[in-house]
Amino acid sequence: MIPQDQDELRALAGEYVLGVLAPDEVREIEAAMPTNAALSSAVTFWQEKLHPLAGRAPPGEPPPATWDKIASRIDGLTSTPKAVGVWNRPSLWRWSTLGFAAAAAVLVLYIAVTPLSHGPRYVAVLHAPQEEQADWIATSGRRGLVVRTVTGMTAPTGRAFELWVIGPGTAGPKSLGVIPSDGTLHVDSAPPSVRSGATLAISVEPPGGSPTKQPTGPVVFVGALSEL
Amino acid sequence: MQVGEEFGIRVSLRRVNGGRIRGCHFGHGFMSENQASALSSIAVLIAAVAGGSRAALKRLYELESRRLFGIAVRIVRRPDVAAEVLQDAFVQIWQNAHRFSPERGAGSAWLTGIVRFRALDAVRGTGREILSDDPTLGDIAVAPDMIEQIEAQEGAVALHRCLASLDESQRRCIVLAYVDGFSHAEIAQHLNSPLGSVKSWVRRGLLALRRCLES
Repeated sequence: MIPQDQDELRALAGEYVLGVLAPDEVREIEAAMPTNAALSSAVTFWQEKLHPLAGRAPPGEPPPATWDKIASRIDGLTSTPKAVGVWNRPSLWRWSTLGFAAAAAVLVLYIAVTPLSHGPRYVAVLHAPQEEQADWIATSGRRGLVVRTVTGMTAPTGRAFELWVIGPGTAGPKSLGVIPSDGTLHVDSAPPSVRSGATLAISVEPPGGSPTKQPTGPVVFVGALSEL
Repeated sequence: MQVGEEFGIRVSLRRVNGGRIRGCHFGHGFMSENQASALSSIAVLIAAVAGGSRAALKRLYELESRRLFGIAVRIVRRPDVAAEVLQDAFVQIWQNAHRFSPERGAGSAWLTGIVRFRALDAVRGTGREILSDDPTLGDIAVAPDMIEQIEAQEGAVALHRCLASLDESQRRCIVLAYVDGFSHAEIAQHLNSPLGSVKSWVRRGLLALRRCLES
C-alpha cells in the first residue's frame, strides 16, 4: 500500500532509493510510480540529494572487454530505441563510426540524394567534441544552408538545439537559428561568415533559442566548413 | 561532470582529417546551477541514446564507466560481478533512456540509480562476505582528500551539512545503505544493534535529512 501521508511517502521513497526495501515493496513502488506523481517526485528528490554520497566509492577501471560485451548484447536485442528513418539506419551510421573517411562517404551519399540543382558550395560534418561519430551534416550554397542530423539526435526534453557559426577571424558565435524538432534546419540566406574556414556549432538552449544572442548552454556538436 | 568542463567552455575543433585546429570558448554565465546540471552533456547523451544512437551510448560508457564501476565494486565487492552489473546496467540504460527526463534530475544521478539497483540485485541474490572492520566501509572515516573531493561536487555541501546534523546511528545507517548497499539486516549486524532499531534509525534519519535539505 503506497501511503497518502506525505512524511510516510517521503520516508518510503527514501528507503526505496537506499535499497533497503523487500522485493515485493520494490515491485509495488515501481508499479505505482508512473501514475503517482507525488511518489515519483519523492523518489527523484532522494536520487538527486543522496547522489553526492556515491562519490565515496573510488572509481575503478572495468575489464577491457566490458564494452564489447555490452555492444553484442545490444545487437542481440530485438527491440531497439525508437530509431526511425533512413538517416538512422544502423548500416548507414555504422560506416561513420569508422571515422571521417567514412563520414565523408555519408556526406557524398547525402549530397547525391539532396535535390539542390546547383549543389552546395560548402560542407561541414558536425560531431560531439572528442568523438569520431558524425552526427550532423551541413551544406551551404545558393539555396542557403541546410543542417540535418544523421543519427537522429534530439534535444533534451523541453530544450532546443541552436546552430551557430563562428566565422574565421570574427569574435563570437552568430546564431543561424533553432533546429526544428525533426532534425533539419533550412537557413534561406546564410550570412557571409558561412564560408570555408568557419566553424559550425550546436548548443543546447531554452525552447525558442538563446535569450542572449550568445550560446547559454553546452556546445554539444562542432564541425569546420570546407569548400567542395 | 559539469557542462562547462565538458563541452561548454573548452571545445576542441577538428578538421575532417581529425587533426585538432584550435579551441573555442563559450561561456554559459546566464544559466542557473540547476539549469546547467539539467543540461549536462550526460543528459544530452542520454537523449541521443533514447533516439537510438549507439555512438552516444558508447560515449556515455567512456565518460561514466569508471565512476559507475567503482560504485558497483563498492556494493558487490567483486570486480568480476561488478563488470556483469555494469553490463546489465548499460543494457538497461539503452532500453530505458526514453524514460529519462532532464527536468526530473541530473543524468549522472539517473545512471547511478540504475547501477546501484543492479548491484543490489546481484548481492541480494547471492549474498557476500564483508568483514566488519573493512576500512573501505562507507561509515568509517574517509581520508580528508576524499571529503574535499565529495564536497567539491554540486549539492554535496548541503548533504554533508545535513548528514552531520543527524544522530550518529541515523547517519551511519543511511551511509551504509547508500554507499555499501547494506540491507537492514546487514546494518544491524554491522552496528551490533537490533533490527527494529535500525529500521527506525533509517526512517527517522531520512525524515530529518529531508527537513534539513528543504530548509
